[in-house]
Amino acid sequence: MKALVFEDDKWTNLTPLSYIHPVYELRCGKTTLFEKIAKKLRGMEIGLGARDYIAALAHKKFNLPVNDPKFFTDDVVLVNGRWLAKAKDTIRTDREGVYTSGDNIVYAVVKRERIAKLWNGDFNALLGQLRTALPETKVEVVMINFIWEFIHHNPEQLREDIEAEGKKGLGTNFPAQSVVVGSADEVYIDPDAQVHPFVVLDTKSGPIYIDRKAKIFPFARIEGPCYIGEDVQIMPGASIREGNSFGPVCRIGGEVEESIFQGYSNKYHDGFIGHAFIGEWVNLGGLTCNSDLKNDYTTVSVYLNGKLTDTGDLKVGSFIGDHTKTSIGVMLNTGTVIGTMCNLTAGGILPKFFPAFSWYVNGKFSKGFGLEMMLQTARAAMARRKKELIPEEEAVIRKVYEMTKEMRSEYIKKSRKQ
Amino acid sequence: MDKKEIEAKVIAVVSQVLGVDEDKISLDSRFVEDLGAESAQSLELVAGFEEAFDIEMEEDAALKVKTVAKAVEFIEKYLK
Repeated sequence: MKALVFEDDKWTNLTPLSYIHPVYELRCGKTTLFEKIAKKLRGMEIGLGARDYIAALAHKKFNLPVNDPKFFTDDVVLVNGRWLAKAKDTIRTDREGVYTSGDNIVYAVVKRERIAKLWNGDFNALLGQLRTALPETKVEVVMINFIWEFIHHNPEQLREDIEAEGKKGLGTNFPAQSVVVGSADEVYIDPDAQVHPFVVLDTKSGPIYIDRKAKIFPFARIEGPCYIGEDVQIMPGASIREGNSFGPVCRIGGEVEESIFQGYSNKYHDGFIGHAFIGEWVNLGGLTCNSDLKNDYTTVSVYLNGKLTDTGDLKVGSFIGDHTKTSIGVMLNTGTVIGTMCNLTAGGILPKFFPAFSWYVNGKFSKGFGLEMMLQTARAAMARRKKELIPEEEAVIRKVYEMTKEMRSEYIKKSRKQ
Repeated sequence: MDKKEIEAKVIAVVSQVLGVDEDKISLDSRFVEDLGAESAQSLELVAGFEEAFDIEMEEDAALKVKTVAKAVEFIEKYLK
């Protein structure tokens, strides 16, 4: 039996990362979607399906046949490349059928006679025909339907991937001046990796895997679950919060939380990146930051296929396409999407004074969303810490609002005239 | 100021703030879905209307206005 890992029409939901990567090349946890799927296909000859315009690139990267009709001359299992294949998941190859999750085909097992009859060169048409021709079985699996779902699943996937690898141990070169907070059994440091003195590895929330040739410089603090890929450098003083995956040859400094770096990207300097998916060859200038939580604690919307789409998640950072560069000091709004090869520069210099209750947006002061919305946001923020905005405090706020009204109006008027 | 003048002025402000050609803006246009307004630009729209009509709007209510037609109605109330 042969196996073909394919992309379907939903690749557009994984842009901007999928513009120049087949969907199954994208990383979630320690490895890519393809690496996880391939474990389910042991013993089979594997080929790939890819959009025409990236087929040659996919062949080069994977060294596997791509869009090769010979895969339709044998019994074949067609596997959706957006499947986040878990350790518990299996592929049933003992009977023909279409195995689905939601509106997704997860995989289809097809006999050679049938596929020879149905195949007419149009892969999406073939999938449609299989759905009507074969018995359908629902399976409980995780499919990546939207780009932000990579981030959502990353921490748990890290735990699973690292546990499945089964490697443990600090090695013989772990400096006496560095420490593990939590169980040292939750750490693996490759013998070819270097951990400098004064590094803290915190495994209380999950395992840490430091791959070959990685270097962790002094005063870095790394929380698990975390995967630090081959030849990655974690810069001095970096704060690597929980749930990060760093693909090969990244340079990472500043603060990073629950993010995926596909590989070969630089974030050398200070600045916060959280709940973000960063493509390859991205360079983030010093003090580039992204917001991953709106100030009113509502769900984050993201531009997807030209439409603003509610992710349903409270924490969503940036999605940055390959080869994109940011200048120093770029501040990215919550749920920003930046395409391939973009170049972003920071805005102007901010004023030195901000009157109470004013907003400063696009170089202009404004009244923002008004006092009632500000109070609503305050209530939401306090409730998150199990506190209440008591009436007395609210009365004081309202008073200060009135007291500062004139000053605020002056700034707003002046700003509009500039 | 009659309604036609208000409509023309509102469309001019919307065009300037959102960078959309006036002929692409109708009374039915929705600021976010049709004209691509970001939340920050909604603040600029309020500021633009206040300047253009020399009024001061109540921001909570102003930000609930979703279409060009509703903006015209909203501003009309301040001008009466």
